[in-house]
Order: sequence, then C-alpha cells, then structure tokens
Amino acid sequence: MDGAERLFNEIVKDYSERVYWHVRRFVNNHEDADDLVQEIFLKIWTALPSFRGEAQLFTWVYRIATNETLNWLRREKVRATLHFTTIDTEMERRIDSDPFFDGDAADRALSKAVAKLPEKQRQVFVLRYYDELPYEQMSEVLGTSVGALKASYHIAQEKVRAALGKDLFIGTD
Amino acid sequence: MILSMSKRNDISTPENYFENLQQRLSEIPARKKGAPSGAFARTGSRSDAEEGVPFFRNIRRLAPYAAIAASFLVAVMLGNTILHTTAAPAEDDSWTYVSYLADALDPDGAVYFDDAFAEEEGLSPEDIVNYLLADGISVEHLNYLSYEEGY
Repeated sequence: MDGAERLFNEIVKDYSERVYWHVRRFVNNHEDADDLVQEIFLKIWTALPSFRGEAQLFTWVYRIATNETLNWLRREKVRATLHFTTIDTEMERRIDSDPFFDGDAADRALSKAVAKLPEKQRQVFVLRYYDELPYEQMSEVLGTSVGALKASYHIAQEKVRAALGKDLFIGTD
Repeated sequence: MILSMSKRNDISTPENYFENLQQRLSEIPARKKGAPSGAFARTGSRSDAEEGVPFFRNIRRLAPYAAIAASFLVAVMLGNTILHTTAAPAEDDSWTYVSYLADALDPDGAVYFDDAFAEEEGLSPEDIVNYLLADGISVEHLNYLSYEEGY
C-alpha cells in the first residue's frame, strides 16, 4: 500500500460517515446518498494527487462533497423536469417514502422545509444546522465570506420558520 | 416543540451500513488500478475531475441532457410534419376557390353550384370567374374575396 492509498484510507475512515450524513440531508434517500458518497470518494481518490496540503484535509473533502452534491441536485432538477414534475415535489416524495426516515411529523416538516430552500441557502443551512460547522470553516469550504454566510443562514432560518410556524423552530445563530 | 434541540437521528441507515461502506470505499484504489481497458478506458484527455469516472457513469450523467435534446428534436419534427400536413395544398385549389366564390356570392343557394358537374361540363375555374364577372360581380369584389381567402 503506497502513501496515497494510506491517506485515502484515512480519509475514508475519518470522513465517510460524516460525508454520508451531509449528502443524505440533500438527497433525502438512502440509496442515492450511498451512490453519491461513492462518487464523491472516487473523485477524492482521483483528485488526491492535486491535494497540496495548503487547505485542511477536512475542508478539502467537504468542498468536493458539497460540489458533487450540488451537481447531483442540478442533474435531479433536469430529471424532474423531464418527468414533468419539480425538484420540490420529488424531494417531498422522497422524504415521505424513505423507509429509513425515523422522525416524527415535525422532523418530516423540517426536512421538507429545508428541501425547499434555494440550493446555496440549503448548503449553508445543512452545514450550519445539521453538520454544526463553525462559520470560519464553512467559509473555507464554500469560498464565501463569513458575513455573507451569516446573512444567508439567517435568511434560510427565516424561511424555515415561516414554513413551519414560529413556535416549531428555534435555530442556532 | 423546539426542533433545534431535536437534532436527533431522524434518519437512519441499514444495519452495519458504515462498516460495509468503508469496506467498499477502501476498494476504490485497487479497482482504479485494475481499471478495464477498451470501452471502459479513459479516452482522450480529460480533467482530473472526470478522470477515472467509469464510462457508463458518464453516460448516465449525460442521459438527462440527451433526453432534452431528443425531446426538442422530436417536437421540431412533429411540428414540421403537422405544418406540412395541414398546409399542404388542396388537390384542386382552383375549384375550391370557385366553390368558395359561389358560396360567398350566392349564400342562399339560389344558383346551384356543383364542382363535379362543372368539371364534367368542361368548365374551368376561369370560365366560372368570367361568368361571375359577366354577371355583374366587380373585379374589386372578386379580388377582395380572393385576398380574404388567401388564394
């Protein structure tokens, strides 16, 4: 086993589960999350020679994961259009039919509200709310200023609140 | 209920999923080293991002775009076909025109006009038009009707 393989296996060990949960929040379905995680790690393996070590490994892995997830979402939008539906409807359907969704009605409502956010706000919301990344780390992953991310998260929170009703959701700042 | 406090596991995975996932992901380098040649091999120079992505996965990614292009092509072909079918000239435009003139000028049917009879009698559309002109219909009126009907 050479150095690259060793590093790759470390990444798999340290980040595969985290990447999976991140992806799962976007795709709302276990099978697609599984497929997408494999694609992401395939990309990580092929891009490993270009990893300079300037960025933190964690940031680099997350950046690939978020980019791939966005690409997946865009492909799904096209697919939904071809099936004469919308990505929002498709996501709702996925949440309702996911056999591995164990939450209650409120959790389901939250997932649906998040799924309806515009893709950038959704990224920010998932990274902050579910993945609990600090803004500084989010800034490195998304290449956006901390101020812009805070504003984006605030707007996303307001939209989720509006969708759920104010008493149902109190997010973190 | 405060959902911010309930970031509990509202989603789950099949049992032992992560052990299995790590095992599968760890096999990626070995699989890449033994990548098949021929149709599965990388062709031409591609970016790092695309490098190593199996042929069929690329096809799957392009499929939605190909489907849009195909739908567009089908719509254009269908439109073209419909346009040609509906805009095709009638078998005998001149007789249709004469029938139209006769209907327009004689709405009560006082003068019976029959395409087949006119044809049998060897009357040409010009004969009918000449007859109508001789009968007092003005050229302007005929032109107006011709213009209106698009003949």
